[in-house]
Amino acid sequence: MATRTVTVQRPAAMDAPRGVVRSGVAVLKGMWIASRHFWRNLWGFMRGKPTVFTVQYPEERLPQPPAFRGMPVLVQMDNGKERCVACGLCEWACPTDCITIYPAETADEIERFPQVFDIDMSRCMFCGLCEEACPEEAIVMSHNVEIAAFSRRGTVWHKEDLLVPVRELERTRFRHIRKTYERSTEP
Amino acid sequence: MVKITVDGREIEVANDTMLLPALIEAGIHVPHYCWHPKLSIDGSCRMCQVEVEGSPKLVIACNTPVREGMVVRTDSPRVINARRGVMELLLVNHPIDCPICDKAGECLLQDYSYNFGTRKSRTDEPRRKLEKRKDIGPRMILDQERCILCRRCVRFCREITKTNELAVFNMGDRSVLDVLPDAPLANDYSMNTADICPVGALETKDFHHKLRVWFLKKTPSVCPSCSNGCNITIQHYRNQIWRLMPRRNDAVNDTWMCDQGRLQYAFAHDANRLRLPMVRRGNTLEPCGWDAAVKHVSDALRATAKKGGAERIALLASAHFTNEELYLLTQLVKVLGLRHVAVPLVTGSGDAFLIQPEKAANFTGARELGLVAHDGGRDFTAILELARSGQLDALYVCGSDMTKLVEPTLWQAALRAVPTVIVQDLFAEPLGQFAHVLLPSLSWAEKSGTFTNRKRRVQQIQRALEPPQGQPSDGEIFAEILGQLAEGHWTFHPAEIFEQIGKEFPAFAGLSLASLGLLGAELAP
Repeated sequence: MATRTVTVQRPAAMDAPRGVVRSGVAVLKGMWIASRHFWRNLWGFMRGKPTVFTVQYPEERLPQPPAFRGMPVLVQMDNGKERCVACGLCEWACPTDCITIYPAETADEIERFPQVFDIDMSRCMFCGLCEEACPEEAIVMSHNVEIAAFSRRGTVWHKEDLLVPVRELERTRFRHIRKTYERSTEP
Repeated sequence: MVKITVDGREIEVANDTMLLPALIEAGIHVPHYCWHPKLSIDGSCRMCQVEVEGSPKLVIACNTPVREGMVVRTDSPRVINARRGVMELLLVNHPIDCPICDKAGECLLQDYSYNFGTRKSRTDEPRRKLEKRKDIGPRMILDQERCILCRRCVRFCREITKTNELAVFNMGDRSVLDVLPDAPLANDYSMNTADICPVGALETKDFHHKLRVWFLKKTPSVCPSCSNGCNITIQHYRNQIWRLMPRRNDAVNDTWMCDQGRLQYAFAHDANRLRLPMVRRGNTLEPCGWDAAVKHVSDALRATAKKGGAERIALLASAHFTNEELYLLTQLVKVLGLRHVAVPLVTGSGDAFLIQPEKAANFTGARELGLVAHDGGRDFTAILELARSGQLDALYVCGSDMTKLVEPTLWQAALRAVPTVIVQDLFAEPLGQFAHVLLPSLSWAEKSGTFTNRKRRVQQIQRALEPPQGQPSDGEIFAEILGQLAEGHWTFHPAEIFEQIGKEFPAFAGLSLASLGLLGAELAP
């Protein structure tokens, strides 16, 4: 096989010693910028006013806007029971079929409640159609997105895991959905 | 026939009908609550009002006879306004608890409210407080607030069951549907009142708070509980039956079915059902593969037939099998030359309406196909007697109906005396402990085929529930056994077998599954 030789013309600036000096200056410049931020941040942290945008999750969390849709949760009334009457509309509306409800009867004034209310979070896509379908304002989208689990079984959330006291949701999500779905009052 | 004009369209209708059925027949939907095809006319809901030319006021279509040249309008502004008014008044006191109402999804009040109602209520007054969740009978509950007083249920109890339990008490705006304290709604057809209730006032306890109706899948079928063969719809979801509802067939059951039949479905999806074939080894039954089980059965039958002759084999077929399965059993009888064949039949109480004393769906089919009085054969107690006296080497038992007919000691002694007992049943109990081979059977909800009712009407059943993967139907088991015992290629396809029955049995001639349709057809005399 015939050998072909190509001579590469190196640019003059890359040649020593002028090139070494230039790249050395560039490295020092970079170090200066990095260390400037380091000292400034250190000073900021010491004063309690960090100047960086990094959020120290999970110790630190940003507030979410009201329209943010995290995992759906069940509203827990002040008497400790769920507001849900197991009407099944969210189960029907759910595009991914991640909700499973088995209704049952109680002697309470609201005679029907969900005996089983499971949401398979590995299938949930946070669309919020369950919240929109709900006639009782009993299932709402929360700000929680921490749904990781160690097993597939762990991704299924049961009724007890899903309950969130009504007080925690009143100011944030309820106000938003009443406005969005043009509901004048609570049901 | 008379010609009438409806919304500018000329239609021909029978001349002795009322306007509403004629319009429904012609495919023109007029909303109505109180009118029902099988009940007398009440005219209480005022929902079917239409405009008839020449009549100063709107008239109710359900109680206006048709006449030649009638000009009817069902969609004029006056009619629509009247309907809206009726809807508004019906909803004045309705609790609108649709989220917890079992009727939601198939409720006429909901449907018509969407179509004709006003979206907003104009009343500020509190709604009428009445009794909710009232226990009015062993199988029914009443919600008086939801009732719109159409009186369909009252007429049902007066005209169909003639028991008169339900009545509207008080007058005017204090009218309320109720039962008398000492006369609960307990007749044998009480659950039909929930079907005909256009709202959720009458509900069955069986389906109360069980499932939203929109999840239900509906498969037309025939009730398996007695020989009347009432047409039903199997309503199922998650491979489980949730309720059975009557399906209209004017030749059999109109639009009704009995409570007894309606409540007998849980066995079909019972978790304790026998699902794997078993073979006895020593004192225990051990699960085995289907091929091995079928081979075991056919080897036993072949060996017995060779050794002692067909005289020493008996077959107890089941009156719950479809015609197609019974046909394959006739082929088995022919191939082995069996002489001892019988079909045990459980009998119970019946009435003059729908409930028949024969508590099996297809005893007539077994008789038509010649399994009941086979040449030289004996009835089933005689077969048990043969078994007990040691004159049988093999006994093939399908179903456990015989255990309900004779004393336990009698059938147990008989089964113990036979060296090879083959049992094909839905459950391992009660026959499993006597079986040498135990074959799982399929319930009527899991297979397709035809039943012949007591009036010799052949009607189709269709598969609603999926059996576990790999479990063959009874017909497929028989085809497999026949494949081992006889020449030729045996398969089980209900439509093909039904055609074959038509060729061999003159009564079935000319029938096909397609020609049976949903309502069935009567056998040739």
